[in-house]
Amino acid sequence: MDSFINQYGFLIVQMVLQAVLALSLYLPLMAGQLSLASPAFYAVGGYVAAVLSTQKFLPPAGTVFPEPVQSLVIWLATVFPGAQDGLYPAGLVVLEMLIAGLISGVLALMVGFPALRLRGIYLALATIAFVEIVRVLSLNLPVTGGAIGIFNIPQPFHTKFEYLWIAGPLILLSVWFVARLERTRVGRAFAALREDELAATAMGINPTYHKVLAFTLGAVLAGMVGVVSAHFLNTWNARQGTFDLGVLVLAYVVIGGARTFAGPVLGALLLTALPEVLRAVAGLPGLPTWLTEFLREGRLIIYGILIAVGTVFFPQGLLTPEIFTRRRRPPGIQDSGAGETAPTEVS
Amino acid sequence: MSLLAVRNMTRRFGGLLAVSDVSFSVYKGEIFGLIGPNGAGKTTLFNLITGLTPPSSGDLEYKNRYITRLKPHQIAELGIARTFQNIRLFGNLTALENVLVSQHVHTRSGVLSGVIGTPGARREERQARWQAMELLEMVKLSDRAHVPALSFSYGDQRRLEIARALALQPELLLLDEPSAGMNANEKTTLTGFIREIRDRFGLTVVLIEHHVPMVMNLCDRIAVLNFGQLIALGEPAAVQNDSAVIEAYLGEQ
Ligand SMILES: Nc1ncnc2c1ncn2[C@@H]1O[C@H](COP(=O)(O)OP(=O)(O)OP(=O)(O)O)[C@@H](O)[C@H]1O
Ligand SMILES: [Mg+2]
Repeated sequence: MDSFINQYGFLIVQMVLQAVLALSLYLPLMAGQLSLASPAFYAVGGYVAAVLSTQKFLPPAGTVFPEPVQSLVIWLATVFPGAQDGLYPAGLVVLEMLIAGLISGVLALMVGFPALRLRGIYLALATIAFVEIVRVLSLNLPVTGGAIGIFNIPQPFHTKFEYLWIAGPLILLSVWFVARLERTRVGRAFAALREDELAATAMGINPTYHKVLAFTLGAVLAGMVGVVSAHFLNTWNARQGTFDLGVLVLAYVVIGGARTFAGPVLGALLLTALPEVLRAVAGLPGLPTWLTEFLREGRLIIYGILIAVGTVFFPQGLLTPEIFTRRRRPPGIQDSGAGETAPTEVS
Repeated sequence: MSLLAVRNMTRRFGGLLAVSDVSFSVYKGEIFGLIGPNGAGKTTLFNLITGLTPPSSGDLEYKNRYITRLKPHQIAELGIARTFQNIRLFGNLTALENVLVSQHVHTRSGVLSGVIGTPGARREERQARWQAMELLEMVKLSDRAHVPALSFSYGDQRRLEIARALALQPELLLLDEPSAGMNANEKTTLTGFIREIRDRFGLTVVLIEHHVPMVMNLCDRIAVLNFGQLIALGEPAAVQNDSAVIEAYLGEQ
């Protein structure tokens, strides 16, 4: 058991964090908005954690905040167990998450209002541009440590596996939040916009408000994941949270299924575990050398093939809402797919 | 008393005058027919009234208030609901969810209160579901409340669209060819149903309809559009004998 955790502890936490990221992309998609902005907020969250934990919170170099923030910081620094061990207080990580969530949320409001006027692929392109802007800024701003980034981010735990103490509740809370949201007034407004924006507005749904709201909720989540990841990876720089990550997270959603929250979660778990599984298979004794080598060296190829095959055989992703409700759709009725609502003619 | 006043409404699509300087008033409580040959501009007029298409010029006054520049969701909030000629339900949502969406403006719960399930939010949700089920009952779809809308038959989808529009608790209901695709029997039932909801909810109804007997039977007044222009307005008997109207319809053949 110990050796399993030693070997796979990092991977398990990584899988969980990626699953939360997948949900952050799924949230705007609930309202029909394909945004690839999650990595930008993830990056911002990481920098918030890196700066606060290396420069602001830690005594004696730590900043003195105005009351009652100072008392809160001190209280959080001591209330969680382990704080005395010379480890970074886990309570402060939680505080960083709240701050990063707030900053990401405000940033999302500022970006969202202009960006969400765009539709479909244009919105996706605009959010990619935003990710790039954040990357270039973080390369050039003094506070983010330029190209080197920020390293020696303090560790709240002795082992990587123990990060589950934070990542676990985070994924549970996020899943609970999204699952509940889908069955509430606001969640239904999102779904209506995703199904048919024009009809939704004619039924009294304010499209801009709800699109920005969905986008902002996703951003808050991505920012929080960034905080955990920064500690988890120990260092943070402009290579975190780039366009590549956006594509990867989109793949989680597409493979897992874009029409239920369970899809992105499953997609993230599977695709994050896949390279490790392939590595393990390659390590099995008795395999021909060419296969072992292919499994080791050709991981990315296999990855690509699986994504292609997956989308062909499961165009809706692995999971659909019908699996859970056992509804059967009649044959011949096509589904509209990943959720863009095209600006169609009215009649 | 006039509930809705359409004043000099004009809408151009490129060189085409889809609606041309149209003015009329709809009185509170009446069933108002809007007829005309294909492409006359009837649906465009609905889109103008509901804010989905901005006018080229002209004004809309609803309950003594200018609504010309309002957004579609604001107009819906003021109590103008509609159905669509080419049915626009939320296909992957259930019948119940379709109706619940339209209760949005009459409910309050936000992200947090909804997700957490505060007592207020729960009560509101229960009440909304109960009201939605009542509406589904009325259009005889309550037994399939949890079936996705896209698996309904054509006629059922039309009735579901009416239930969804009614959930907005409108004062003015715009129906765009509600009987399209229905058989004679269903058309008769629909005629009775429209009268019934008018009386029960104190509605004012504007009805686009090609089926002449239904229009003559149901409507208090009728407006006739042809090539975007209003060519006749009045009580059914008068309009039926209007020479311009006869010509417009005969000219079509
Ligand atoms: N979005 C649009 N862009 C360009 N032309 C349009 C648009 N919408 C409507 N039209 C044109 O405007 C004219 C009026 O169309 P409209 O749909 O209002 O007619 P209608 O009276 O509802 O006809 P029908 O009885 O066939 O439904 C038609 O010539 C139509 O092609
Ligand atoms: Mg029409």
